[in-house]
Amino acid sequence: MRKTIFKSTAAVLALSAVAAGLPGLASAQDGKKFKVFLSLSYSGNAWQSEAANIVKALAQTAPYNEMVELREVISGTDPQAQISAYESMIDEGADAIISFPISSTALNRTIKRGCDEGVLFFMYDATVTESCAYNVSYLSSGFGENSAQALVNALEGKGKIFLSRGVPGNSVDQRHTDGAMHIFNQYPGIEVVAEYYSYWDDRTTQQETAKALTANPDVDGIWAQAGEYGAIQALLDAGDRLVPMTGENSAGFRLALADPEMQAKGLTGVSAGSPPAQSGYAFKLAMEILTGQRELEPMNIEYPLPWVPADAVKVCEGDVYENGCNVFPPEKVPASFVSEVLNPVLLPEVNVESALNGTPVPGATIQPLPAEVIEAANLPGINCGSCEAPEDIYKLTKVEATVQP
Amino acid sequence: MNSTSKPPSQDHRLVQTGDTRVSAKISRETISTLSVTILCLVLLFSARLINPALGSWSQVETVLILGFFLVVLSFGQGLVILTGGLDLSLPATITLGGILATSWIGAGNPAEWYLLPAVLAVCGLVGLASAIGVIWLRVPPFIMTMAMSIIVASALLGYTKGTPRGTAPDMAVALMKGDILGLPAPIVVLIIFVIVGWLFQSRSVYGRYLYAIGTNVEAARNAAVPVTAMRILPYVLSAICAGFVGIALVGYSNGATLRMGDDYLLPSIASVVIGGSSILGGRGTFLGSVGGALLLTILGTIIATLGLEFGFRTIIEGSIILIALLLLREELFQKLRSLKT
Repeated sequence: MRKTIFKSTAAVLALSAVAAGLPGLASAQDGKKFKVFLSLSYSGNAWQSEAANIVKALAQTAPYNEMVELREVISGTDPQAQISAYESMIDEGADAIISFPISSTALNRTIKRGCDEGVLFFMYDATVTESCAYNVSYLSSGFGENSAQALVNALEGKGKIFLSRGVPGNSVDQRHTDGAMHIFNQYPGIEVVAEYYSYWDDRTTQQETAKALTANPDVDGIWAQAGEYGAIQALLDAGDRLVPMTGENSAGFRLALADPEMQAKGLTGVSAGSPPAQSGYAFKLAMEILTGQRELEPMNIEYPLPWVPADAVKVCEGDVYENGCNVFPPEKVPASFVSEVLNPVLLPEVNVESALNGTPVPGATIQPLPAEVIEAANLPGINCGSCEAPEDIYKLTKVEATVQP
Repeated sequence: MNSTSKPPSQDHRLVQTGDTRVSAKISRETISTLSVTILCLVLLFSARLINPALGSWSQVETVLILGFFLVVLSFGQGLVILTGGLDLSLPATITLGGILATSWIGAGNPAEWYLLPAVLAVCGLVGLASAIGVIWLRVPPFIMTMAMSIIVASALLGYTKGTPRGTAPDMAVALMKGDILGLPAPIVVLIIFVIVGWLFQSRSVYGRYLYAIGTNVEAARNAAVPVTAMRILPYVLSAICAGFVGIALVGYSNGATLRMGDDYLLPSIASVVIGGSSILGGRGTFLGSVGGALLLTILGTIIATLGLEFGFRTIIEGSIILIALLLLREELFQKLRSLKT
């Protein structure tokens, strides 16, 4: 009798596994859906919304739509709120928590408790130092030093520059800036004449850059974190002169880099920086582990640094990044749209509408991820607790120095 | 009520008294407006010592354009404070104005002539809702406007699904980037706005009603002031001002975000208080608030150019605001007056 039950269960299991097209489904064992939570910091800027929308779209794409119950919780900017959100998710029996962590350390105890109860924690973009969580992030990929070197190259090693930074006291901003200063400090000809916090926001960047321009109208270059499109606007407001600058992935910035009119005014540079697509990658990794398709111990996973120099910007005709295009036209997306939300290799299932509205692409099915994941370098206090940073932490990966100090 | 404050009927601006002493001819509000203006000029010119590029016309232009938003907000906030309230719904209402302007109208829409006023009207409704809560439901203004702020902000988050779309209406762009008579358009509009605002608050009967209500509601009621209507008006005007700032911000940076209003709440209150208004209502002028708003903006541009650590910069900014407030305190003028006489 016992054997028969076992056999029939196995048969059902096998059948449903075939039906879903995936071997060894954990969910099929009890016929229930996986409980996956999406824990956000703040929903209200383009980056956070796009990252969340991508996960929502993937969760509604076959076969995940049959397998996952996804719930979204927004915790604002207060770590305490996210801690209590995690607590209730663990108590509700979460299988996985996909999250943008508000603090790299404050959540550790709760995460550890969740891990002990078998919850998978996948952090995207921002990271935690708790070693039982998976961190999926581009932070170790060297945005700061690579973009700084690109700017130095464009300025031929000489000139007055602005640093448009992120949020004061934030470890991500600090890592970017440390990397950038490591490069700038090697060039005595580079002078940082103004450094301001723009809170990764277009409008704040525009106003802070406008203030800095009153004292330094003759600036030669701008190194910016997210919000870079505001710096272009401030330069245009102040006069008809643009300068070489580096920034992150806003559609406004990329389109400007490719615009001959803007180039004629002096704009050149590189679009790099934080990709919202990290959330989708984290979610798919978590799902592959839950469904038994992948075995992976908790680790720091590097998302490759997006790197689009001015001459590589190409406007898309359709709804996805194909034929090497990497930015959508203004009719499709607002200027603040973060372009690196799609990834033809890692996330071929979603399109621009998914990023904007969280809707799945009709007829799309989930494609397996590349088998290999890149291990991220140690960043003490950012993705590991008591660890040492590698000696070559600021080595250049995307660009070479074309001018010597 | 301390011994120095006069009942409104004896205020020399309402009834010309026989007092002809020089010191009595200048109201304390004029003095605080003048002092804050002088402080602005001093800061502006002493900035040259820090950086020779400062103190130039181009810096004045930057200050006026960046200060535009704060001046407009401080008019509405000032009226609400004048009647003893406080408007914490400004950030959400700014965002409402901005998002409606981009999503309803956008660039190249010929209907913007009536849609832009419609956007302002929707914002005005938010103010009306706050006023209803404050006056009839007797919710403290602080709580009522905060609740409205949360409701509106959340509705916008739902409406936009997190990503506000659309572009700036042409008129909003013309407002912030255009030229009128060789001057940047926002500066011309700012000057007109200040004159109209000043006439309304200090020279019209409605302005006088607001002062009367802020000083003593019961006394105002007995004096046949239309108290209910005049208590609603500041909230509606404040919300319309916030909507206007939202539209202007959209023109300034060509797009809306859900956080676009967040940076303006405390500065709008600070401008009003630095400008010599009492936070308890009944006292203060719009010109003072204009001075306060410009002072904060000038301070921002100068501090930004100091090559100091961010922490020190904000300490200096806070200290200067505190010193300005202490210097502009009424007691100081009372003492100066008594020295003269």
